[in-house]
Amino acid sequence: MTAAVTAPARPRTPVAARRYWPVAAALVLAALGLLLAGRGSWPAALSVDLSGPLGSASDWIVDNRDSHPLFLYFFGHVSNAVVLSVRGVYLVLLAAGWAGVTAAAGLVAWRLAGVRLAVTAVAAFAVCGLLGMWVPTMQTLALMVVAVAASVALGAVLGLAAGLSDRTYRALRPVLDTMQVLPAFAYLLPVVLVFGIGVPAAVLATVVYAAPPMARLTALGLRSADPGVLEAAASLGATGRQRLLTARIPLARKELLLGVNQSIMMALSMAVIASVIGAGGLGDRVYQALASVDVGAALAAGIPIVLLAVVLDRTATGARSRGGSGRAWTGCAAAVVAAALTGRLTGGLTWPEAWHVDIAEPVNRAVDWMTAHLYSGVPLIGGTADWAAHFTGWVLDPVRDGLQALPWWALLMAVGALALVVGTWRTALTAVGAMAAIGVLGVWDASLDTLSQVLAAVAVTLVLGFGIAVGAARSTRLERLLRPVLDVFQTMPQFVYLIPVVALFGVGRAPAVAAAVVYALPAVVRITTQGLRGVDPVALESARSLGATGWQQLRQVQFPLARPALLLAVNQAVVLVLAVVIIGGLVGGGALGYDVVFGLAQGDLATGLVAGAAIVCLGLMLDRVTQPTAEKEA
Amino acid sequence: MRKSPVTESPAGTSPAGTSPAGAGPAANPVTSGTNPVAGPVISPVTGPGAPEPATATPVFSVEGLWKVFGPKSDRVPGSDLAELPAAELRERTGCTAAVRDVSFDVRKGEVFVVMGLSGSGKSTLVRCLTRLIEPTSGTVAIDGEDILSMDRSRLRELRRHRAAMVFQHFGLLPHRTVVDNVAYGLEIQGMGRAERRAKAAEVVTKVGLEGMEDRKPGQLSGGQQQRVGLARALAVDPEVLLFDEPFSALDPLIRRDMQEEVIRLHREEGRTMIFITHDLNEALRLGDRIALMRDGRIVQLGTPEEIVGAPADDYVRDFVRDVPREQVLTVRSAMRPPSGGEAESGPALAPGATVSEAIEAVARTGGPVRVVDAGRCLGVVDHEGLLSVVAGVPVGKAAA
Amino acid sequence: MRMRTRTAAGAAGTLALLILTGCGAADMTRQASPYAAARGTKTVTLSVQSWVGAQANVAVAKYLLEHELGYRVDTVQVDEVPAWDALSQGRVDALLEDWGHPEQEQRYVAGKKTIARGGDLGVTGHIGWFVPTYFAKAHPDVTDWKNLNKYADELRTAESGGKGQLLDGSPSYVTNDKALVENLGLDYKVVFAGSEAAQITQIKQFAKERKPFLTYWYKPQWLFEKVPMTEVKLPAYKEGCDADPEKVACAYPHTPLQKFLNADFARDGGKAAAFLKNFRWTTEAQNEVALMIAEQKLTPEAAAGKWVAANEPTWRKWMP
Repeated sequence: MTAAVTAPARPRTPVAARRYWPVAAALVLAALGLLLAGRGSWPAALSVDLSGPLGSASDWIVDNRDSHPLFLYFFGHVSNAVVLSVRGVYLVLLAAGWAGVTAAAGLVAWRLAGVRLAVTAVAAFAVCGLLGMWVPTMQTLALMVVAVAASVALGAVLGLAAGLSDRTYRALRPVLDTMQVLPAFAYLLPVVLVFGIGVPAAVLATVVYAAPPMARLTALGLRSADPGVLEAAASLGATGRQRLLTARIPLARKELLLGVNQSIMMALSMAVIASVIGAGGLGDRVYQALASVDVGAALAAGIPIVLLAVVLDRTATGARSRGGSGRAWTGCAAAVVAAALTGRLTGGLTWPEAWHVDIAEPVNRAVDWMTAHLYSGVPLIGGTADWAAHFTGWVLDPVRDGLQALPWWALLMAVGALALVVGTWRTALTAVGAMAAIGVLGVWDASLDTLSQVLAAVAVTLVLGFGIAVGAARSTRLERLLRPVLDVFQTMPQFVYLIPVVALFGVGRAPAVAAAVVYALPAVVRITTQGLRGVDPVALESARSLGATGWQQLRQVQFPLARPALLLAVNQAVVLVLAVVIIGGLVGGGALGYDVVFGLAQGDLATGLVAGAAIVCLGLMLDRVTQPTAEKEA
Repeated sequence: MRKSPVTESPAGTSPAGTSPAGAGPAANPVTSGTNPVAGPVISPVTGPGAPEPATATPVFSVEGLWKVFGPKSDRVPGSDLAELPAAELRERTGCTAAVRDVSFDVRKGEVFVVMGLSGSGKSTLVRCLTRLIEPTSGTVAIDGEDILSMDRSRLRELRRHRAAMVFQHFGLLPHRTVVDNVAYGLEIQGMGRAERRAKAAEVVTKVGLEGMEDRKPGQLSGGQQQRVGLARALAVDPEVLLFDEPFSALDPLIRRDMQEEVIRLHREEGRTMIFITHDLNEALRLGDRIALMRDGRIVQLGTPEEIVGAPADDYVRDFVRDVPREQVLTVRSAMRPPSGGEAESGPALAPGATVSEAIEAVARTGGPVRVVDAGRCLGVVDHEGLLSVVAGVPVGKAAA
Repeated sequence: MRMRTRTAAGAAGTLALLILTGCGAADMTRQASPYAAARGTKTVTLSVQSWVGAQANVAVAKYLLEHELGYRVDTVQVDEVPAWDALSQGRVDALLEDWGHPEQEQRYVAGKKTIARGGDLGVTGHIGWFVPTYFAKAHPDVTDWKNLNKYADELRTAESGGKGQLLDGSPSYVTNDKALVENLGLDYKVVFAGSEAAQITQIKQFAKERKPFLTYWYKPQWLFEKVPMTEVKLPAYKEGCDADPEKVACAYPHTPLQKFLNADFARDGGKAAAFLKNFRWTTEAQNEVALMIAEQKLTPEAAAGKWVAANEPTWRKWMP
């Protein structure tokens, strides 16, 4: 009997020991360190003050921007090219009028994704007009078209290089990985400095932000092409070029379209953020409404963005499964021209003003009602203000103070140990390096403050996300109900819900966490639901046949089998929460997020860039610590 | 387990084969080819109507071919390392020898089967023939022209016009229709759209896919997909067809259909084929000659009858143990010289008839049956001779 | 093959560069917004800052430029410091309300001479610390900074930990509060709301509950009409007492708000430039428009229209 019990346990011990020895070692060392040397924060002697050189760099740029050849002969042309193309697209859109644009959207959606989406597309554009947002929508669309085209082109070229050459792939991958955790705001400061505020800076920041997913997916698509097909092409005597054009690229079609799709979504989310640097369009309206604390007006400008995102996303998804013949496209083009002409002749180029619907007021009333009734004094559960206070006092404060009280070297060791547990020594090296870089940059305490908020937000996101996902995985109806809600939350510009969040939770770190949770939750729910759904039904059936309860099935079968999806969800939660750290800075989150906003508002390159770099380092560290490497998984 | 035209037709009525199948003396480059110890197999099996004399230039000629994977792989062939067993070689050098010192000739018009279990190096071997995998050392020649010294454009020429391959997993382009897949090789050659589609449509009909021209591979069954793969190879009208386990991924019944298809094509066109398989039955069914591979080497090369009737070593013997010998071996292996008046009268069988056909004839007549070739009596078969073949003991002993 | 691709790529890159540079220099400062009206139309670009007072200035100026002078007006939403930069680059023509940026003035007006002064806005701005009037009435001594420590306990929030909370706003605003708290020895913690929207929402929420709070705020501001607030007296402002940001221990000055124009625009801007130089109104007038925008939720354009209709004598004087 004893043998039976101990026997299966014994072979596991060494594995467990190997897995967890770094933790144990770190704990012992930490205890020793505490006895020997106690100081918490990163020593000033080990940090580098970058404000001097960064300040003089920024001064140099400002002083030389209109005279140095680099600006005159390079950036100037880039900038002019961007303005010209955006203007070209904008004029075409305006010339087509709302009838032409709506018809074009409907027909393209119909050709690529079917009748239902065509109806959605037409309705979406009609709503943009109804809300009185026609011209801003066209401005945003023009900017988007140029930015997405440039991102896709740049991404495709990079992806092609990385897909065909191993060396380029190895060189490019860490760069793309890093860019993925870089928050959008961090791109703004350098481009503004070089290009000044306005559309060129906005487009270029968007391109830098939206090109990496395209590059990644292109490379992935080319690299994962069925080797059998490639061999067949080679066996027929195809040249390298023929193989690329007739086999590799067509085979990567799915990934390429997914890349375009991703680029569009990233570009849209950037379109709003870029309003901070004068990009105009819908983002500008959202930002303006924010100034007068007008949630309704912000929503009116936010809805077109959500609609654009949904329509573009679904169309690109639809395009993955269909194509279209040349003749049909010619027909569509003719129809669009006809619609545009009709629109012109009947006199309406922009949406008729009489058809505007004002949603701002009812929305504001609804938000006021909601915050009035939820803010405080709700019987039994307390108001949202009380929750926020408790969350701050019982969760955020202890975590932050704990992190800041830890000696810096102990924290480095803990990070290293954690990374060793989930990954390889290489992972650990990256994670520790990133953390040390934060110290060297001289923003150790602020970063730990941000880190505590991120950890709290990730924890809340995961608890909520897993809970909702378990429900959604069980009930198809709930999932169908959730889908549009998730879509909206994922694409709604975060500026729109800043005010309700503050109205509910007050100013401080709690609303920052809430905003992050709202942003990250959809992805976590989606990935987890898919993972749970994807669990082998045979395994579930066998568990049921053994009489397992629902909870047992979940705990013993679904969660373990969906482990890769759950890990991905954790990783995504971390990346997304970090992406809105800066938004958190706008509602009182303070720390790094505030520093970046401050740098942008005050034109203070040193503060903004250093804080942005620290966010990137945090991102790298968290990404590595939550991303089990392939070898370990195998 | 019937093979090729000779045994295809009923005993005694067989017309001269339309193919050179089973033809030619065993001009074996592999010395282990026929092992006289195993039994008195009549070695020079001169088939009826072999169209090419054995001295003609072989289509493919492989000599001392090596393929070693791993770091500094070129030091392995020809050194002491060459003789090491696989595990030890890997331990000492980190290299794996997939093909070891292989030599054979493929004659014009024959179906040459390379058979072996997975990991025996057969797929690597066939890829070395058109340098889809670059051999480590040795020579490969097509029609006497050295392939290994070809430059890129000459090699492309070879792949485009002279040797086309059919793959286990089809290797079809999922985004193209059947006819465009079939025309793919022609497109690569640079043929115009209308011309290549017309030509492809012809081949599509030939492999029995008419009416499916506009479907995508994903809408076809596995067997149909492989017909597309076959058609694609045929469309370029190659001198040699290379098959890399083309039917392994198919269901048994469909596999049989496809084998019939290959036999039919071979009968109609007489194209040279090199066929890789791990399925012994398939090898025996299709092959004029079979090279049996193990651990990168050819352990025996010979006709199906030689492989089954005279296994070169215990490995091969073990391999062919379950083969119904009476369906593979011909009456030649059960013949004894005629005695008395046996040579003059009685029922007759062609020398290519299988033992099982002979058993049927003997059972029907109750006495010995003559083996007659072109009116000349080669010998007779009787109960004892046939039984000893089925039992796998030498004919003479059973008789004694 | 690879060599060929590489060569081709190199050639293409060089060609692209040649095309780019071949056309000569490109001056980014001569660039218009892609959304601007067609060439030939008289266009003015105004920068708008995020607070409503600034929106009110721009709304009225825009309304008059469009309806009275026949210009087309584009607006660019941008914070003050970047607005200076944009002004220097010619991306915007005018900044109508500046709260004092000596460093930028030194660089662009005196140094590069790319920006010209546009005169007073007529509104005097003042930054200070404020408590809600209902709280000041209940505790009159809170309006002196020396007594603030007494109330630190009452002004505590979850965010300020054990200390009292001093609510600060947008990072784009001029503030010395951290230094002030330190140098005056106050038991307070500065909590940055991060944006004016967040700060206003929080103040309104406190006011609804009639809770006490202490906030950084500024005049003129429409919120005073909704939430009456009383200023807390800090040590009096003396010229130069805020020279060293680390050692500040005095109140904020009263700043006559300034207009700035792009130097080229000021010279060649014709009637628009002249009008913008003449534009000068009062704190009350600005507040009136701001309140229409912020509280009645009128669009800036509608609010400006309303004000213009009622105050013709005032704006007639601005017309060139």
